[in-house]
Amino acid sequence: MGTISSAFGLISGALDADQSALSIVANNVANANTPGYTEETPNWQENSPVTIGGVSYGSGVTETGATSVRDRVLEGRLDQQQQLASASSARLTALNGVQALFTPDSGSSTATAGDIGSDITSLFSSFSSLEADPTNISLREEVLSSAKTLAGDVSNAAASLDSQGSALGQQASGVTGQVNSLTTAIAQLNQQIETTSPNTDAGTLEDRRQEDLSQLSQLIGINQVTTENNGLSLTTTSGQLLVSGGSSFELTSGSVGGATHLFVGGTDITFQLASGGGQLGGTLTALNQDIPTALNALNQLAYNLSTSVNALNNAGTDLNGDTGTVTVPLNIFSQPTALAGSAASMSVAMTDPSQIATAALGLGTGNNSNANAMANLSNQSIVNGQTPIDYYSNFVSSLGATVSGVQAENTAENASVTQLQAQNNALSGVNLNDEAAAMSKMENSYQAASQVFTMLNTIMAAALNLGDQTTVS
Amino acid sequence: MRVDPSYVTNLVGSLDQAQASQQQLTAELSSGVSITALSQNPAASGENVLLLNQIQQDDSFTQSSSLVSGQLQVADSSLGSVVSQLTQAISLATSANNGTMNASDTRSIATQISGILNEVESLANTSYQGQYIFAGGQTSTTPFTTSTATLPAVTTYNGDQGVNYLETPNGQKIQLNVPGSQIFLGSGSNSVFAALNSLVADYSSGTVNTTQGVADTQALGTALNFVSQQRVSIDNSITQLTAASDAVTSDQTELTGAQTNLMQADVAQVSTQLSLAETQQTALEDVIAQLDAASNSLFSKLQ
Repeated sequence: MGTISSAFGLISGALDADQSALSIVANNVANANTPGYTEETPNWQENSPVTIGGVSYGSGVTETGATSVRDRVLEGRLDQQQQLASASSARLTALNGVQALFTPDSGSSTATAGDIGSDITSLFSSFSSLEADPTNISLREEVLSSAKTLAGDVSNAAASLDSQGSALGQQASGVTGQVNSLTTAIAQLNQQIETTSPNTDAGTLEDRRQEDLSQLSQLIGINQVTTENNGLSLTTTSGQLLVSGGSSFELTSGSVGGATHLFVGGTDITFQLASGGGQLGGTLTALNQDIPTALNALNQLAYNLSTSVNALNNAGTDLNGDTGTVTVPLNIFSQPTALAGSAASMSVAMTDPSQIATAALGLGTGNNSNANAMANLSNQSIVNGQTPIDYYSNFVSSLGATVSGVQAENTAENASVTQLQAQNNALSGVNLNDEAAAMSKMENSYQAASQVFTMLNTIMAAALNLGDQTTVS
Repeated sequence: MRVDPSYVTNLVGSLDQAQASQQQLTAELSSGVSITALSQNPAASGENVLLLNQIQQDDSFTQSSSLVSGQLQVADSSLGSVVSQLTQAISLATSANNGTMNASDTRSIATQISGILNEVESLANTSYQGQYIFAGGQTSTTPFTTSTATLPAVTTYNGDQGVNYLETPNGQKIQLNVPGSQIFLGSGSNSVFAALNSLVADYSSGTVNTTQGVADTQALGTALNFVSQQRVSIDNSITQLTAASDAVTSDQTELTGAQTNLMQADVAQVSTQLSLAETQQTALEDVIAQLDAASNSLFSKLQ
């Protein structure tokens, strides 16, 4: 049989439960804007009924603590997509720097300075002009000056690519520091979670671990594996262990042959990381793939142009009647020794315009056959099986296509991140309307419970006084 | 159904995008250029390089052609003068050959032909802007010199056989010169100088060997025809040059049009886009202001 005092116990339990639920709602509202915070809901549990003389009586309610509203699969997908988006975004930033070196020439009178395409055309046009008047010194000066402009622009572009490369290398090394501090934090959180809540959601600790994971996802491509006791193992996308339970493994950077490489332990994982994702992946892709591609194109151009023009200039007769020899060559450009580095070192070696060999061998200096031949280089497949201008044109279109492809990729990935983020926010974010409703509901039930308490009090007093109203109030 | 509580943040993201697109469009309008980075239109950027290359080639050919057309005109008019000098020499020789002249008249004819010889030699040594135009590639060496040590005198060619060509952007080769030896020292009876020197030798003594005189006069006639033929190739070059330079000019106009279409901003289109972006921005701002002003949670209703 239930008693008044058991009703007291029951209703004061309800008041306790309402209070702790209210504090959960208050905590939600307080953390509405905290990054990584996951909305918590109170857990209500009906107390076991008491059976007396074959009759069951309910014995109230207990609030057993808060549960975070989270979907680990959704969070995992968000992290993955974030890794892709960060990679393409970092690569895009680097590529924008690269393509800024090759701004299209608008063709207006105030043409873009430093346009390599126009420089190539100017060089060959200056040879064509020499056809009209091969002995004219000012036309010869023009050849040297357009050669200098071309060499200057090519070597400047190569130097800029080079310095962009070293900046990206430094950026990659900088990112490793952030990665290490996050993996250390995750390892510590793993330890705490394994001891405090090995079997259930770890709430705030889990929020912090998840927040660290999403920050880590912006930096590097990772795989997550949930282990026993609510632990988490992290590897790079290529499978190199970063965090295992309570221990983390440091990512270090070092220089290999002048290039920035990244290691875990003694293993060089630069190329695996490049395809892995995250800011590090994008940066390394730009560093190891995009910048070398652009540099190689410039090298091909510089090397082949310099050697072809030099070869022809040595095969003719200059204004002094001289012909270049192996020991005393008549080189317009400094003769490159190897393909690598030829763009950076491209320069004009000739200072005396009369040394331009416009005449064919054995003919007078007024002959223009060799000037003809040099102008015709512009139509010959001297750079990787293409004419110089076709080669440059293909280079800029393919660079543009790469940038535009990465841009499209990045836009799509960002849209997908936004979508997943919205889904995750909808699930785990604090919705103030919901909190207001919960608050109002809890307030009502608390008021009701206190009302019941007051009435029980009156009843109890009546029982104690046995009809006499004055003894106990 | 649950919704994303942070939708205002997303709206602000859209607002940023609208502003970025307005900036881009405004930059296009103010610069007049639609492609400011390769990635905006990779194919057009590549095409632009090729078009600019062709335009500049055309431009450079137009400049070169005006340079060489002067030289070709000078060559043509020199050869014109040579033809009239030679015609005069033939008529002088013909009158000397008819046997009615006394020794002094004959010697005077020799002197006149010798004058013509000098004149023709100086025409053959014509220079244009300091360069001898009938010297092949040896444009700084006087191409013809006459040695009077022997009788008949001998005129030698000091130039070479170099022929210069100007190449048009589409690869047509236009001949710019004819080596002097080919015009004035043609093989066999085609040599102008040999015929003139022989005639001077024929008449300088005052007595005329009519057979020899007639033969040498005929040789000069053949040589004159030969010079005229060589002159035709210079005239052909002038015609070719004019035609090529007209073609190149019209080509250049067309290419410039194409390049402008490719790279220049379409003002009407960009303005429309800009106006759309502005409308979008205003709408977004209104929405955000509205959401901000409205109490956006139930808390404001709780007492």
